[in-house]
Amino acid sequence: MRTFAALLAARGARKETSVPYQEILPLKLKQRVSGKGDNSSDVCCIQEMSLMLACFKLNEFDQSLCSKEVQNFSKCYQGHLQTKQKQKEMDEKGILRMGERNLSHKQLNKYLRKFPNI
Amino acid sequence: MALVKTLANLKSVQILTNKLAALSVVQQNGMSMYPPYYINPIFKKDAQVELFENGEAQKLAHIPTKAALIDQTCSIYYDDDIRLFRNYIMRSGRKSLARELLDKAFEKVKRSQLEKFHKAKTEEDKNKIVLDPREVFHMAVDNCKPVLFLTPIKRGGVKYQVPVPITEKKSQFLSMKWLIEAATDKERTVHFPEKLAYELIDASNNTGRVVKRKQDLHRQCEANRAYAHYRWS
Repeated sequence: MRTFAALLAARGARKETSVPYQEILPLKLKQRVSGKGDNSSDVCCIQEMSLMLACFKLNEFDQSLCSKEVQNFSKCYQGHLQTKQKQKEMDEKGILRMGERNLSHKQLNKYLRKFPNI
Repeated sequence: MALVKTLANLKSVQILTNKLAALSVVQQNGMSMYPPYYINPIFKKDAQVELFENGEAQKLAHIPTKAALIDQTCSIYYDDDIRLFRNYIMRSGRKSLARELLDKAFEKVKRSQLEKFHKAKTEEDKNKIVLDPREVFHMAVDNCKPVLFLTPIKRGGVKYQVPVPITEKKSQFLSMKWLIEAATDKERTVHFPEKLAYELIDASNNTGRVVKRKQDLHRQCEANRAYAHYRWS
């Protein structure tokens, strides 16, 4: 205890205010987000694909016997492509819809520009 | 007068902004000589008549339009897919040779189908044989179209062959490419049109090497189906 007190005396107890805090970068979030992490996965129609492949295997890869499965699969993929295209168009236009959950980085940036944080 | 002028100004500004908007997007027209806002020509007579009846022609009249390609005609023998196939056959820009080869192949198809037709004994068998070489061609291309293909995706230092769905355009391209590759893979004494005709007839009957190749691809996709969720864009 005595040594501790002696040490304190030697260095002199510092007050918190005696070391001013320097902010090197502004202490607030930026007004934008980067689009780098926007690598959404392109996996689609796995269910349809596996059904179709199972049918192929059953019928010795004769496509004519699995026309229903093939049609389902291609329809699913077409739908996927269409929604993707629509999403892309929306992103390019930057249309903001109310109550949308998954916002793209472009939409987010648009919101942040409209309502910048303090 | 002033009003008209301002209106004209407004219009030009609008056109300019439209153009800028089109340019700001990544150019999708590749090596095209035309700016992206040019539309494709409608060169078929019946389509044009339909446009005039609809009143759509009035709208299209003032939109900049590309010139029709040199082999796009309103002839009844014109076919988009056949034009494409002919261009895939073409090497070093020798289009006349490509046309000659394809015409010869179609002639061979017609002759062999006719031969089969005359050899068939019953009416039923005769009805089954398709005599139009163009129809045979379309059937062959349709039968060789794959529905999946494999794409290499690197995961943890290992390349996996992942089955992915295929777009209509790419599947058609692969089908035509395989047909041409099968036709070029021949003995020296056999001519290209002869072999192409043979492959076309075979493929139209859902047999032959090209259909086998498609099935092999599907078989490989089936073997690699466990990797399907590795897909990434």
